[in-house]
Amino acid sequence: MMSMLPRLKAGLLALLLACPVLPALAADYAEQPYFAEKVARKELPPVSERVPRTPYVSEQASGQYGGDIVTLVARARDIRYISTYAYSRLVGYDRDLELRPDILEKYEDEDDRVFTFTIREGHRWSDGHPFTAEDFRYYWEDIALNKDLSPAGVPEFMMVGGKPAKFEVLDERTVRYTFDKPNPRFLPYLAGPVDPAIYRPAHYLKQFHAKYADKAKLDEAAKAQKLKSWAALHNRMDDMKEHTNPDEPVLQAWRVTNRAPANRFVFERNPYYHRVDTHGHQLPYVDRIIMDVSSGGLFAAKANAGEVDLLFRGISMSDIPILKQGEKAHDYTTLLWPYARGSELALYPDLNAKDPVWRALNRDVRYRRALSLAIDRRTLNNVFLFGLGIEGNNTVMEQSPLSFPGLRTLNATYDPAEASRLLDAIGLSKRNAAGTRLLPDGREMEIIVETDGEASHIVDALTLIGEFWREIGVRLFVKPQDRTVLRNRAFAGLTNMVAGQGFDNAVPTAIMPPTEYAPMRQDNYAWPQWGQYVETKGKNGEPVDIPEAQRLLDLYTIWMNTANHGVQRDVWTEMLRNHAENQWSIGTVAGALQPIVVRNGLKGLPAKALYSWEPTALIGIYRIDEMYWTKAALKEARR
Amino acid sequence: MILFLLRRFVTMLVTLLIISALVFLIIKLPPGDFLTNQIAELRAQGEADAAAKAEFLIKQYGLDKPVWQQYLVWLGAMPGQNGFSGLLQGDWGWSFEYDRPVTEVVGDSLWLTLVVNIAVVIFIHLISIPIAIYSATRQYSVGDYIATFIGYIGLATPSFLLALILLYYFNRWFGISIGGLFDARFAGQPWTWAKIQSLLAHLIVPTLVIGLAGTAAMIRRMRANLLDELGKQYYVTAKAKGLAPSRALLKYPFRMSLNPFIADIGNLLPHLVSGSVLVSLVLSLPTVGPILLSALKSQDQFLAGFILMFVAVLTVLGMLVSDLLLAWLDPRIRMGGGR
Amino acid sequence: MTEVVPLKGHYVNKEPFDPGATEPAGNESESFYRASSWRLMWWKFRRHKVAVAAAAILLAFYLLIPFVEVIAPYNQTKRNGDFIYAPPQPVHLMHEGRFVGPFVYPYKFSFDLENFQRVYTTDTSKPEPIRFFCRGDYYEFWGLVTWNVHLFCPPQNGTLFLLGTDRLGRDMFSRIVYGARISLTIGIVGIAVSFTLGLLFGGLAGYLGGWVDHVIQRMIEILRSLPELPLWLALSAALPANWSPILVFFGITIILGLLDWPGLARAVRSKLLSLREEDFVRAAELMGASKGRIIARHLIPNFMSHLIASATLAIPSMILGETALSFLGLGLRPPVTSWGVLLNEAQNLAAVQLHPWLLFPIVPVVIVVLAFNFMGDGLRDAADPYH
Repeated sequence: MMSMLPRLKAGLLALLLACPVLPALAADYAEQPYFAEKVARKELPPVSERVPRTPYVSEQASGQYGGDIVTLVARARDIRYISTYAYSRLVGYDRDLELRPDILEKYEDEDDRVFTFTIREGHRWSDGHPFTAEDFRYYWEDIALNKDLSPAGVPEFMMVGGKPAKFEVLDERTVRYTFDKPNPRFLPYLAGPVDPAIYRPAHYLKQFHAKYADKAKLDEAAKAQKLKSWAALHNRMDDMKEHTNPDEPVLQAWRVTNRAPANRFVFERNPYYHRVDTHGHQLPYVDRIIMDVSSGGLFAAKANAGEVDLLFRGISMSDIPILKQGEKAHDYTTLLWPYARGSELALYPDLNAKDPVWRALNRDVRYRRALSLAIDRRTLNNVFLFGLGIEGNNTVMEQSPLSFPGLRTLNATYDPAEASRLLDAIGLSKRNAAGTRLLPDGREMEIIVETDGEASHIVDALTLIGEFWREIGVRLFVKPQDRTVLRNRAFAGLTNMVAGQGFDNAVPTAIMPPTEYAPMRQDNYAWPQWGQYVETKGKNGEPVDIPEAQRLLDLYTIWMNTANHGVQRDVWTEMLRNHAENQWSIGTVAGALQPIVVRNGLKGLPAKALYSWEPTALIGIYRIDEMYWTKAALKEARR
Repeated sequence: MILFLLRRFVTMLVTLLIISALVFLIIKLPPGDFLTNQIAELRAQGEADAAAKAEFLIKQYGLDKPVWQQYLVWLGAMPGQNGFSGLLQGDWGWSFEYDRPVTEVVGDSLWLTLVVNIAVVIFIHLISIPIAIYSATRQYSVGDYIATFIGYIGLATPSFLLALILLYYFNRWFGISIGGLFDARFAGQPWTWAKIQSLLAHLIVPTLVIGLAGTAAMIRRMRANLLDELGKQYYVTAKAKGLAPSRALLKYPFRMSLNPFIADIGNLLPHLVSGSVLVSLVLSLPTVGPILLSALKSQDQFLAGFILMFVAVLTVLGMLVSDLLLAWLDPRIRMGGGR
Repeated sequence: MTEVVPLKGHYVNKEPFDPGATEPAGNESESFYRASSWRLMWWKFRRHKVAVAAAAILLAFYLLIPFVEVIAPYNQTKRNGDFIYAPPQPVHLMHEGRFVGPFVYPYKFSFDLENFQRVYTTDTSKPEPIRFFCRGDYYEFWGLVTWNVHLFCPPQNGTLFLLGTDRLGRDMFSRIVYGARISLTIGIVGIAVSFTLGLLFGGLAGYLGGWVDHVIQRMIEILRSLPELPLWLALSAALPANWSPILVFFGITIILGLLDWPGLARAVRSKLLSLREEDFVRAAELMGASKGRIIARHLIPNFMSHLIASATLAIPSMILGETALSFLGLGLRPPVTSWGVLLNEAQNLAAVQLHPWLLFPIVPVVIVVLAFNFMGDGLRDAADPYH
């Protein structure tokens, strides 16, 4: 459950929580059998020298070494999700969604303006080289500020008000980032599902940088690999996001050992990992993670046949019956975790539509409320989620501390009479012979809902919604599109309404930035032009011109400019209420269940927990590095 | 003979050239291309540096030039950004989706495609010839009807569904792992006997499925040809003169009726390759089919173009081989007689 | 008059031989010699029992196309949220030993949360009779008239899912019947396209000869060297995603037909080349007939039979092609219903394991393809009646 501790000044709390709890662990560690040979041959130092002096101590971890975890990916590129699964961040969320230092020993946060990070003493990269402040400096000065390597400049989350942070190295283990104005999204961004990686293995990458190596030689090497320049070569080698370079050292629990193209990718344990348990084991327990590339359509079948140890990405609620069916015969369990998404299907009326009639309608809150009230969410729930879902708005889950009673159902009950009344009130009371309402210019009221054609259950759900809306005289036409075509049409204002998934982050806490909920991004189909305006700083798009939406932007600015968590919480509450009242996006049902296939004998995952991309990083915050095989399972021949 | 060979060769080259133009045209038909699509998506995700890289790639591969120029550059007839570098020079292009050269992406799957298709050809011949002989000699018997019936079912059932059903049942009954050409644990390992065994076990379902349709057609034709020959005078004479029936059959009518089959190897290949694409998709085989489909869907043009050309070359070569074999077998063709 | 002496089974007529005498033709052979080629074809076709049966089946299928709305017990969009993935309801005649007439037992839905399975329990105490010639769901007959008469309907307040239901609770039997309309039509329209192109190009090549022949022959060779499926994939991927379903339907049929005409054209061409030298053509030319008249009146009727046989044999590959394309998601898409679209929805192993009735659309595909094959065989055998 979510912790309800009131947040103190962040700095103090962080300091308190960062200290290792049991100082007695400093010396005695058990060597992993996986490395025993290498240590004996003196190719690796013994484990007590590999672990940092002040490692991260995990109190709940308790298991034994050994074994592999086999999982599946749909394409070779998907191995990059290892950084989401393994979830090693400078600061990360724990199971209660509180920020804790992970790779860092501690951090100090002064008013969300000045961030001081301290690295663990003796922390090394996976190749044995020390991890120091130089790695941060290299990233900042030689990558982010280098015009060749980063033509777009410093990443957005490290800038406030258009000005980048000020970076200084205080000593070998300490760095400081100073912003002119508060930047409360800095830490949540560092804890995100994709690691922004503001540190790099400087000792490895310097050989590819023109400032430290011979530029002519580098350019030649680049041409040999068909790359444009040394910068492209550097970017190719510096691959902490895609994991295509086995030679690049990492800090996370496992490192990739082979390159593409391949059908099987093997990740081996990192001998210098910084986490330990309270019984003298250096994590992770499991020696290797093996990802097999297989066609996405066969995931459920392969899991049913018992061919995986752990699988969650690539299977969904509709696969649950067949996953459950194979459990006894093939010795695995299917955990069912609630998927924390705003809504499984949300409708986004395009507030920036070019067609004047639809534009006016989409902007009328009564119209949006009417469409929402006309949807029979109970039927959708029964048909698609076995009746186990949560009917209502596209909003945060009840488990989030920011949720409040009534948020889910405001304007989202099933009341077709009221919906009809609202539409009549707008002036759409004329109908034709078939019962369909007529627009002011005489056209039939037919809403064209475009959608990313890949998901068939979305088309099915829209078919049902079409039946519901027919009751109030509105026709719905589903138009599946290619994803990029859809995006381009939305950006150009050619869409009327788009169907997609609801909010990504549905269990936010007050400290997480409410970016999704404000008109700031052009990939939100309700306001692509407003979002574009903010993203391009006024060069493209249109400025917000509805007062309620403008309020969302103002609230976001308030959130950004304060370090007071109470104020941030109030901002969130008002934004959530604003969404429920104005129905910027019309939600249907939430609370799908995500199946997680775990072979019996592989322990460590809770029986039920929240699953989401953000902020739980899929199963990241549940710590796959603390999963272990039982002794009985280890005795069986492992693949 | 030499003249005949030369003429065929030249024709083949011209055919390939025109095919390459057609292939390129078809791939460029859908509006936009991979990179332009990707840029919009990357920008939306705020990954500005990746978008810049994509723009660079557009310049590099001349995707902003007119289509006919792109075609010539791809062929290697016109210099691109880095001089002559196209199919003729052995540079098979860059895959945008996988972000590496096409040869690396396609590598293994090419020869695996060959393995699967050759296995199917062998299977078809092994199965259909004895059945056809049996059917022809024991016409209208129960065996004849059963054989033809099974053949027809294979012909009529959509191959991908058959593949799915067989996949499921083979996994249930024989424990063959689902999908792929061998067990996952052999991936990337050197070829041991165990790996070969796994490969053979996994080849059963695809070969069965792809081959079944071809088998039916072949049985029918062979049977019809044999029946024709069996009615001819020389066969009756041979039997009358005391030659054992089986020897008489194999030595004379059988060889005559084989004629069309040699000719047909050329025709067999395109059907096989296209049939195997669908089945590979369902069974998740690491052959060329699934790669082609995703390349077509995402408009990864060089990858799709290369695979299509590969398949076309395979076909044309097959036809050349069968023409040569036929010419060697049948002197009339060599002499240029008959139409 | 000498005696006729049978000598070891040989019969020798000792009468003097008159080479000028003929035997008077009997009635049968008279009609045989006078019959037109079409009639001869029909007689020969009739002898091939299997082909006749196949033709009958196909005729039945095609005749039913205009009436699919009446035959299907539910209309195309009717769905029942309480009966998702319901298994087929078998039709019984005897209830507890007595003859009641065709009826089904109702079943009830419950959800097994432990195993996440939908469970349907049949209630064998209340037989629910099927109604015939009744009023049921509304539909638009040929898009003109709203009607609701069905051949047979579900019992009052009951369900009649002969082949089970799909993931939205739609009756599979009704969907298969509606799908027949699209799938069967694609074959015919596609063949029409390829027939026209084949006749045109083959005719030109065969009759005109010279460089026209040469160019067309090269075209044919090139098209035949291209593997079918990848080209279908490429062309289908090129169809704009925002076309209406009808446009996509025609696009698909044109694509299927475009890649099929070379086979027909080659047959036409070779036939024309041989026929061109025949005497009757020379006679017509000498009598001043125009080229067009010669082609249309004299040449084409002579090999029409072969063409029809070839065309018939090509239809199955079109149907299978559409099935394959829809299966891949590149052909027709919902809300258009064809057998290929139905099979697309059954393409994962869950379908085979948990709801095998979703695979039922295979059966009509197999039947139709086989029927076309047998009928085509029969037609081909019959096509040359003088053989």
